[in-house]
Amino acid sequence: MIRTQISLSEAEYEMAKAEAARLGISLAELLRRSLRNILPPDNQNPWMRYAGMVETGEQDASQKIDEIVYGHKK
Amino acid sequence: MPAKRSTKSFTATRNEAYVDTSALISFADRSDSYHPLFRRLFSDPPPLVTTPLVIAEGHGWFLKRYDPAKGLQFLSMTEAMPLEILPIGPAEQRAATTFLRKYSDQHLTLSDAVGLHIMASRKIRVCWSTDFRLGLSKVQLVIHQ
Repeated sequence: MIRTQISLSEAEYEMAKAEAARLGISLAELLRRSLRNILPPDNQNPWMRYAGMVETGEQDASQKIDEIVYGHKK
Repeated sequence: MPAKRSTKSFTATRNEAYVDTSALISFADRSDSYHPLFRRLFSDPPPLVTTPLVIAEGHGWFLKRYDPAKGLQFLSMTEAMPLEILPIGPAEQRAATTFLRKYSDQHLTLSDAVGLHIMASRKIRVCWSTDFRLGLSKVQLVIHQ
């Protein structure tokens, strides 16, 4: 493990501490987990971190792109 | 100087596939029924080509459904992907217009038509799309493989 120092705003610090307490983990572990979520899981395929980046709730979202982008016919 | 006509003929790199907007959205949206397929395909992709029109459509989708931040995230996703983004000019637009006229009953977008032209001119045999219209010119849709 490499030890490092970061600066947070008071609000960020309080929110992070509260979230860590809610999850039952240390603040350091919460920050490590957050970092892992941001960094590519696989350096060889960095685009894979974007897989499933949104959840529309629609199973046919990819088949209704024209409706969203171009709109319905009036 | 008048734009050159699109007369170049290409032979597709082995296994080259054309990526449509729907493949990118399906990859990004974990609710989409084809998401597991495109997650698997993008994890070990063959050479992939697409166009700026596809990128613009995808970006527009994120702007409409979400916000500019998500739009930028989408652009970052496409930058990270091993996608060859082919230049599209007047010659390609003219060729795409021919497809729009040929399939005028199919509600094709210009982006779709440019895709059909690119697949025909580069002899691409596989299209990554969930949109059946991209299979109009007998290119196989990956969702049917």
